[in-house]
Amino acid sequence: MIESRHADIAIIGAGPAGMAAAVRLAEAGVHPVLFDLNATPGGQIYRQLGNPQVGAGVMGEEYQHGRSLVEAFARADIDYRPLSRVWWIGRKGTGYDLGVVQHRAQSWHAERLILASGAMERGWPFPGWQLPGVMTAGAAQILLKQGALLPGVSPVLAGSGPLLYLLAWQYLQAGQPPALVLDLASASRYRALLRQPRRAWHGRNYLLKGVRMIAALRRAGVPVLLGVDGIQAEGREAVERVRYRHRGHWKTLPAALLLTHFGVVPEPQLARSLAIPHRWETGQQAFLPERSEVLAVEERLWVAGDGGGIGGAINAEREGRLAALEVLQSLAGKAQDGLARERAALQRARRRDLEARRLLETLFRLPGDWLEVQPEDTLVCRCESVSRGEVERAITQGAAGPNQLKAFTRCGMGPCQGRQCGESVARLLAHRTAQSMDAIGYYHIRPPVHSVTLGELAAQQET
Amino acid sequence: MFRRSPHACQTASQVQIRVDGIAVSVPDTLSVAAAVLQVHGWQGYRRHHDGSPRAPLCLMGSCHDCLITVDGQPNRQGCLVPVAEGMQVERQGGGRHD
Amino acid sequence: MRQDFLIVGGGVVGMAVAYGLARAGQRVTVLDERDDALRASRGNAGLTWVQGKGIGMPRYAELSLDAVQAWPAFAEELQARTGVDLQYERRGGVDLCLDADEAETRQAEYRTLQTVSPRLAREFEWQYLHRDELLEHLPGLGERVHGGTWSPHDGHCNPLYLLRALYAASLDLGVTLHPATPVQSVARRAGRFVATTPRGDIEAERIVIAAGLGAQTLAPMLGLSGAVRPLRGQIIVTERLPLIDQLPTPQIRQTASGGYLIGDTHEDAGFDKGVTLNMVNALAAKAVRIFPRLSQARLVRAWGALRVMTPDGNPLYEASKACPGAYNINCHSGITLAAFHAGDLARAILDDCLSQDFPQFSGERFHVPA
Repeated sequence: MIESRHADIAIIGAGPAGMAAAVRLAEAGVHPVLFDLNATPGGQIYRQLGNPQVGAGVMGEEYQHGRSLVEAFARADIDYRPLSRVWWIGRKGTGYDLGVVQHRAQSWHAERLILASGAMERGWPFPGWQLPGVMTAGAAQILLKQGALLPGVSPVLAGSGPLLYLLAWQYLQAGQPPALVLDLASASRYRALLRQPRRAWHGRNYLLKGVRMIAALRRAGVPVLLGVDGIQAEGREAVERVRYRHRGHWKTLPAALLLTHFGVVPEPQLARSLAIPHRWETGQQAFLPERSEVLAVEERLWVAGDGGGIGGAINAEREGRLAALEVLQSLAGKAQDGLARERAALQRARRRDLEARRLLETLFRLPGDWLEVQPEDTLVCRCESVSRGEVERAITQGAAGPNQLKAFTRCGMGPCQGRQCGESVARLLAHRTAQSMDAIGYYHIRPPVHSVTLGELAAQQET
Repeated sequence: MFRRSPHACQTASQVQIRVDGIAVSVPDTLSVAAAVLQVHGWQGYRRHHDGSPRAPLCLMGSCHDCLITVDGQPNRQGCLVPVAEGMQVERQGGGRHD
Repeated sequence: MRQDFLIVGGGVVGMAVAYGLARAGQRVTVLDERDDALRASRGNAGLTWVQGKGIGMPRYAELSLDAVQAWPAFAEELQARTGVDLQYERRGGVDLCLDADEAETRQAEYRTLQTVSPRLAREFEWQYLHRDELLEHLPGLGERVHGGTWSPHDGHCNPLYLLRALYAASLDLGVTLHPATPVQSVARRAGRFVATTPRGDIEAERIVIAAGLGAQTLAPMLGLSGAVRPLRGQIIVTERLPLIDQLPTPQIRQTASGGYLIGDTHEDAGFDKGVTLNMVNALAAKAVRIFPRLSQARLVRAWGALRVMTPDGNPLYEASKACPGAYNINCHSGITLAAFHAGDLARAILDDCLSQDFPQFSGERFHVPA
């Protein structure tokens, strides 16, 4: 048997939700252990904010907003464990067992757990998306935050979502404007918007911000094409050309770097690994773990931040605090009168914010019939190189669900554990069998959630 | 190739690492994947087991297309390993690894 | 259309029988569970294996020998029909012994088997090889391995592709598949068999229960034995690694895609098919003991599955006396036996001579008073 370290409360993830939860707990005299993949706190949104590499003028105010939180986190009394990969999660007794690799493998038992593992960019197949020179907008932004790295060439930006425009704007401020911005959001979005004037009003700040960014890009001479409905990357060893379809016509543009963004979805692996029930949320076009009003998925497990549904950094911070309040109540074993007002205020703000956010979902809605019209040889699973055609053949040969399909094709069996192809496979099955995404479901997610070597595990066995 | 912006803050110290045996100096805030993208760009980053060329897609730990050999350990996620003084990085261009 | 056979269970056992019956011109309907069912077919090592089978029941060892002899033609036929590469190989296999005690017990078992069965004495070839002698079959074998029994009969395949090929071939032969159609009850009504499902009743002239652990409740409804219990096995698999010319073992084998499959655990865990941290660590340690080079290999997946065990661990092939036309097919070795299930067994079901041809495998053996 392997000895386990014990924690009353563990948090996974040091983004805004995880940091806020930890800080709030520490304020109350509770000292959580916090595991995070990265070397410094901040998550993706506040990455490197403790030692920023680019000026505020380039990054914009959202990035700066996290400063006080990162500083509070640095001051708080927290057992913060950076560069820790939680590769295993399982239920044990009333709590949770965690397998963690931080320099070496270790086992933990946490009585209470907050999952704050955030979001990831949606895997969205198109021809050539596996070529070097195709990266996500998020990746480009990480390079900017991590080392003020800018592409040495003018990139083409394509996709849908606020991040696409934010990156375009940041590149513009940094003196490296993109060659072109291709907006692939569903063409029906403005009609949808007009039908929802109340939603537009709630989200007016988002609208205004977007309009200003697009205006700034256009002023600087960056073409922004709306209504693009096809994209392809071409090249032998790397991207050489980008093809796109605009108003029914395919056009080709020489380009070495294509930065794409198709929205963000909850990083699913930890919650899926615990077989937490999920449902398909049509607004977000994503599977979300089922949470209660107070973010609980089980008696002693909470999901806070974008990992439970995309709400953005400020909402994540709020959810982190909310989860912390629930933990405090759980530790006390009864309702805490002193926390009631704080909780109510957080929940009010959360509801208001999420309502406003629905505007973004409408504005950046991806076309629902994308994947099935991509060429047959378009890769769905990058790790195992499984094409759309191969997935379709397996469905014809009797693969009726995602797990049977995985068994028949190896789709989702590679090192990314289905993160890039899980949604696509569910979409293809739903389309072919005329069932809902909820009826189709998702892969069983198996450990390891993150990479671990046999040697690391074996060493633990022997000590 | 990615290059450091002339407007970068001067707060990062440099560390020396070796990429495919050649010593290079990079900011210590970078991940191994970011460092390779700065030194060599995305071309030649990695070859997939199917023979196709690959390079990092997401840089946030999810795509696993940044696999690289660090200090003799193959298939590490380059985006999750910070650079460190004296680190030996080898790109997996030969197709031997996944 | 009138159906000749209902097969309850779309795993590798049910599909092999369905394929065998369809190939013989029967109209077959397969009822399968939902995507998240127990699925022993997806949780095995993919061995086509004789060693270790039938300890205490030589007839089962003989059956396994028949099955592995039928495998090459079976694999070729399925591949030709479907284009699915089963990644089947039969170049021999080694069952490792980590220490001297294990080696001694193993050899004694094989010798006993050959003492009681003249056929096995003649045909079952095996040899104990010490670690150094095994190096040519298993390059890089660790020094903390005592040796192993080598046998030329053994081989391996990709069990998932076997299942896919059985699906594809069966569909091609006109088999009707109802996925996500769990059978709630089975009954004989007006001389025919009826399966009740959430999608309504489905009928056929005859019925084969190939429901794995589902037989616990379904088989007794037709006067068949439901005496099966789950025995959990946990498996881990590594990332792809360079292919090495080496033989498979039940403890570890390299698959055609390059990953190493590590398993061979046995636990009573009820219907929990999960994995445990301790067992995954133990499997990793065992893999490194067998092949020290795997220390740097990354784990890509760990999962558990439930073997379907009869009281004596041997297959159950029975025809119902109470309800003629109902059959119960159950075993924990559906990969090795697939060639037999699709061949001789399907024929015996078709000709309704299961109890004459395979009397040793009837459920009655569990009811004999002590």
